[in-house]
Amino acid sequence: MSSTRERAAAQRRSSLVKDGLDYIDDRFGSSPFLRSAMDKIFPDHWSFMVGEIAMYCFVVLIVTGIYLALFYVPSSAAVVYHGSYKPLDGQTMSAAYASVLNISFHVRAGLVMRQVHHWAAVVFVAALCFHMCRVFFTGAFRKPREVNWTIGLTLLVSVLLEGFSGYSLPDDLLSGTGLRVVYSIIESIPLIGTKLVFLLWGGPFPGTSLIPRLFLLHEFLFPALLVGLLSAHLAILWRQKHTDFPGPGKTETNIRGSRFFPQYMLKGGALMFLTTAVLCALGGFVQINPIWLYGPYQPYAVSAGSQPDWYVGWLDGSLRLWPHWEFRSFGYEIANPFFPGILFPGILFGVMYSWPLIDAWIYKDHAAHNLLDRPRDKPFRTAVGVAALAFFSVCTIASASDLLANDWHISYERIIEILQIGVFVAPIGFGLIAYRVCIQLQRTGNMIIKKPIGGIIVRGGDGAYHTLGDHHGDHGDHGDHGGQGDHGGPGGHGGHGDRLGGDLTGTGHLVRTGGGNGGAGEGAPAAAGGEHAAGGEHAAGAEHAAGAEHAAGAGAAIPEGAVRRGTGGAAGDEVQSPGGAPKEAPPGVAGGETEA
Amino acid sequence: MRRLPPALGRLRRSRLLRHLAAGPTAALGVGLVAFGLFFGLGSASSASTPVVSSNPAVIANGQSLFDVHCSSCHGIGGVGTVHAPRLIHVGAAAADFYLITGRMPLNAPGDQAMRNSPFFGKGQVQALVSYIAALPFIDHQPTVQGPGIPNILPLCKDTASATATNPNCVTLSLGQQTFALNCSQCHQIAGAGGMLAKGMVVPSLKNATMLEVAEAIRVGPRPMPGFGPGELDARQLSAVVHYVAYLHHPSSNGGLGISNFGPVAEGFVGILFGLGVLLFAARMMGTRA
Amino acid sequence: MTSIDESSSRPEPDPRPAGRTGADQADVPESLLPGTEEYLEDPRHYGIEEGVPWPDDVPRGQDDTHWRYEDDPHGARVAELRIAFCWLITLLSGIGLAAVYVAGGEAQVEGAFLFAGFAGLGVGFVLWARDLLPGHDVIGSRGGLTHISDEADRRLAVQSLGRGVEPMARRPFLGKVLGGVLTVFGVSLVFPIASLGPAVEGQFARTPWRKGMRAVSEVGTPVKPSDILPNGVLTVFPDTGEPLDSQAMAQSAVLLINIGSAPFKVLPGRETWHIGSVGSVNCLVAFSKICTHAGCPVSQYDWWTHELVCPCHQSTFQVLLDCKPIFGPAPRNLPQLPLAVDDEGYVVSQSGFTEPVGPGYWNRPIEINPFTHKAVKYS
Repeated sequence: MSSTRERAAAQRRSSLVKDGLDYIDDRFGSSPFLRSAMDKIFPDHWSFMVGEIAMYCFVVLIVTGIYLALFYVPSSAAVVYHGSYKPLDGQTMSAAYASVLNISFHVRAGLVMRQVHHWAAVVFVAALCFHMCRVFFTGAFRKPREVNWTIGLTLLVSVLLEGFSGYSLPDDLLSGTGLRVVYSIIESIPLIGTKLVFLLWGGPFPGTSLIPRLFLLHEFLFPALLVGLLSAHLAILWRQKHTDFPGPGKTETNIRGSRFFPQYMLKGGALMFLTTAVLCALGGFVQINPIWLYGPYQPYAVSAGSQPDWYVGWLDGSLRLWPHWEFRSFGYEIANPFFPGILFPGILFGVMYSWPLIDAWIYKDHAAHNLLDRPRDKPFRTAVGVAALAFFSVCTIASASDLLANDWHISYERIIEILQIGVFVAPIGFGLIAYRVCIQLQRTGNMIIKKPIGGIIVRGGDGAYHTLGDHHGDHGDHGDHGGQGDHGGPGGHGGHGDRLGGDLTGTGHLVRTGGGNGGAGEGAPAAAGGEHAAGGEHAAGAEHAAGAEHAAGAGAAIPEGAVRRGTGGAAGDEVQSPGGAPKEAPPGVAGGETEA
Repeated sequence: MRRLPPALGRLRRSRLLRHLAAGPTAALGVGLVAFGLFFGLGSASSASTPVVSSNPAVIANGQSLFDVHCSSCHGIGGVGTVHAPRLIHVGAAAADFYLITGRMPLNAPGDQAMRNSPFFGKGQVQALVSYIAALPFIDHQPTVQGPGIPNILPLCKDTASATATNPNCVTLSLGQQTFALNCSQCHQIAGAGGMLAKGMVVPSLKNATMLEVAEAIRVGPRPMPGFGPGELDARQLSAVVHYVAYLHHPSSNGGLGISNFGPVAEGFVGILFGLGVLLFAARMMGTRA
Repeated sequence: MTSIDESSSRPEPDPRPAGRTGADQADVPESLLPGTEEYLEDPRHYGIEEGVPWPDDVPRGQDDTHWRYEDDPHGARVAELRIAFCWLITLLSGIGLAAVYVAGGEAQVEGAFLFAGFAGLGVGFVLWARDLLPGHDVIGSRGGLTHISDEADRRLAVQSLGRGVEPMARRPFLGKVLGGVLTVFGVSLVFPIASLGPAVEGQFARTPWRKGMRAVSEVGTPVKPSDILPNGVLTVFPDTGEPLDSQAMAQSAVLLINIGSAPFKVLPGRETWHIGSVGSVNCLVAFSKICTHAGCPVSQYDWWTHELVCPCHQSTFQVLLDCKPIFGPAPRNLPQLPLAVDDEGYVVSQSGFTEPVGPGYWNRPIEINPFTHKAVKYS
């Protein structure tokens, strides 16, 4: 390791690296940026990688998409197929469909590319949804990240449009059926619907203009939009730095994780390769959309089990669940598909877009956060999220009602009726359950607490901590207003006090004190000031010290004896939490990041 | 890439097909000459086991079987009762279809007839079918006839003979076209089956033999509409039959077909396997607290 | 990814004085201590600013230069081989992929090689990062709670903005003119969008069906009533004399149903719209095949219950009740087409539809003249 030869080699490399950087810096003056970029720290929690998985799916989509675009013919012109797939030989079909058959049977490696492309789309949206749920349930959308939530949602919408336009391009019997339904949905929009479909389709359904236009949308417009939005999403993430779960050594003002270079870069690259590998395995081994079975689209034919790809299923399901109502007066009507097809998603996405505002209003929380909530910390928000998921799930299940009927040997009428009730009952039921579970977890969980503690914590003679003036438990959800909090529950109290700071699973040892540039100054209620204070948790570095003595810098965690705090923000000025002073590198910083 | 799915090759070689293609052969001769002529022409019979026999002994055997097993619902002589329809003019195809697929006898009148292991042996089926086919003659109304055993044209051997007008052979392409318009709305485009209103099951076609499919098309087993020669001619019928046989093992070019159920099954696989494996990978790579 | 547990299970880090590197003291020659030139040139110390001390209580896992097998040359060698093995798989997969391609291609084998190749690459990278590279689990500053600027900077920005905005705002007249001009000009720029599609002009209510047109199958064969057996059903189109384009076919598809002897409810004014008498063995009726919900072809026919089901959203229509929707989201009956038989015995239409086919829309008439195809009634 430290032999002379190795040291010499290291020094040679070192000077090589230096020469390279010098070359770049002479031209761009980029060293400060490069350094901060390479030193950038990304938290390591596994759930933070799901957004990345989605991004890598997008990369795979672009690469395979370019390949497919080289062979795809975006034209509705009628051709007679004489390719290698005999069961369609001699049939008249659109040039688009013929070219997809060609990709599937004639172009070498074409089929695997097409299937990888389609699987990537399916997994892409799944990863996006998972990512969005993670962001929602952990409150990562709160200030200062509301804008990125909005961009992310717009990404989701664009991806749904991109996915549907791609689903429609092969012009087989399945995709044509999907387009027929979408045509009817757009047609149903009051006042402008009929004009809009004529503009999009260039006339009555199915027309000949749509395929080339869809191709333009799918291959240029939406991808460009996605690339732009994704860049903005990432740039904002880069600037604001990733959120992290509260935990040992983590405060609102520090960040703990892996360096961008080399750790994160390599792991990110690895995840990209693994994503590609999984998609290739799916593309190679599992058929997706065997368009050759469906045959060319005929507007008067339809197959049983015609469903959209899963991520549009909730819309298809809502069309099935909405009763046979349409409204008519003065010679004008609001047609049936408008309500489940336009109004319903409009309201849903409206709520999703405005959720950061709603959330801030509910919790009276206008302060910035870098540390995440655990879902249990905000039972109401969690309940809303679970209710929304239940709602989407019921709608998605409804889109498979015919298949389920077949599978379960129940008539589909019964299934639809059950789901029509379920679409109201399931969100309420699951929401309530989620709420109760959150409360229960708050009470019994022996994990580290996240909540502000408004009461006075004292350490009793038995070494356990008690909170005075705490309303406890039930109100945990509203703790943000009330200034009371949870202190980890009885289960975790006894006998931990002496191991304070040395025990990771300790009970409520991370007591967040007020301080810093939190909410008090912004006029938030007093208690909120305490919660959002930059002070973060105690025991920043000390928790790792494995029983070592806390040194002055980080260690001051909780003094032996009692931790005394006033209620809420007032405490902020009195107790300066260790390492919590804003704009000051906390102790335990290893070569802290320089600010870009 | 593969030129032609192996299933096609297998089909061509299949004994059944050769027999079907053999066309009108035996069945002429003994007993009721008119009856023999009538059924022999359309029958998918072979020298050894004609589906419909005109041998009076066989018909008599069929009658006794019918009286024991069928007459409680369909009435003596197939005249029909409140429980079950009249059978005098349903024809040989209907009888053969319901018996060889095990749909009859039913457990209880009113049930939907579903595929089952056949209750009757081969000889018994022949006897019963022959008896049903002979009923109009016994009833002295030979002009009113249900569909007989359909004749299935072979697939064209090469592209040269596969013209749209060649009356002697059919193509899979014609079958696909006809299937997509007339069958896929219920049986699903890959023949996976489905469901109609009131829990009526649309069976999967994965187990249906070519003869069964041909008979079902002509007969229209409840709740399926029957297709007469005016709707699907002999070529279209034969083409559909061949295409359904092809669907038993369609081109596996893309890999596992996951039953060809369409996007719902694909979504499941994509989320559970695709995202699942990736989440697992992320979990292995990242921290968990 | 060094979890705290692991790091704390490592040998107790010796109390390191400020300015020490993360490496154990015993491993580091005096010459590599901070402050010396050798220290700065050692590539392991990139990213550590001179003079920034390692705090004493930072466990070794957070040491920027620490990597897993730092103290275990044998382990490092094994790790190296493990990684190389993963990449070897990638190499072999690449060769295999090329060979399969040259041999003619086969999706499954290609998929397998692609999977193995990328997986080998990925796993190799993960192992490399985990076992042999530093940069795990470090703590850095966020540089404050949020990235907010100093008040002074903000004020300067406001000033810069004000420099332009203030003089602009002083000319409200120009603002109003500009607003008006841009509105008019902007609207005029929208006009080219209209080229995308033709004017609607009641085309939704129009189908190609005309008086006396024969009903033909999808391949153009005219249909006789006897062609359709009792309980049979056939999709037909109008024989306009020339091939129908896909739009015409989409609008005009009609289901010809032989309802057998079932009791069909004849609406007043439609007494002659079917062929054959109701209750006889053969009675033919015709309904639009386009669902009034979302436009899918309604094509699942159950002759036992005489119900038509749309495979898209399970709207169920009772044929005997004039195709009234009895289940599902469809809001309206399927329009009925008046039928007749021409001199040669073929099925023809008496006229076009008397109501628009297909799904609803904003200004959908409820009645159209079946001969002129103009809307006659809106409410």
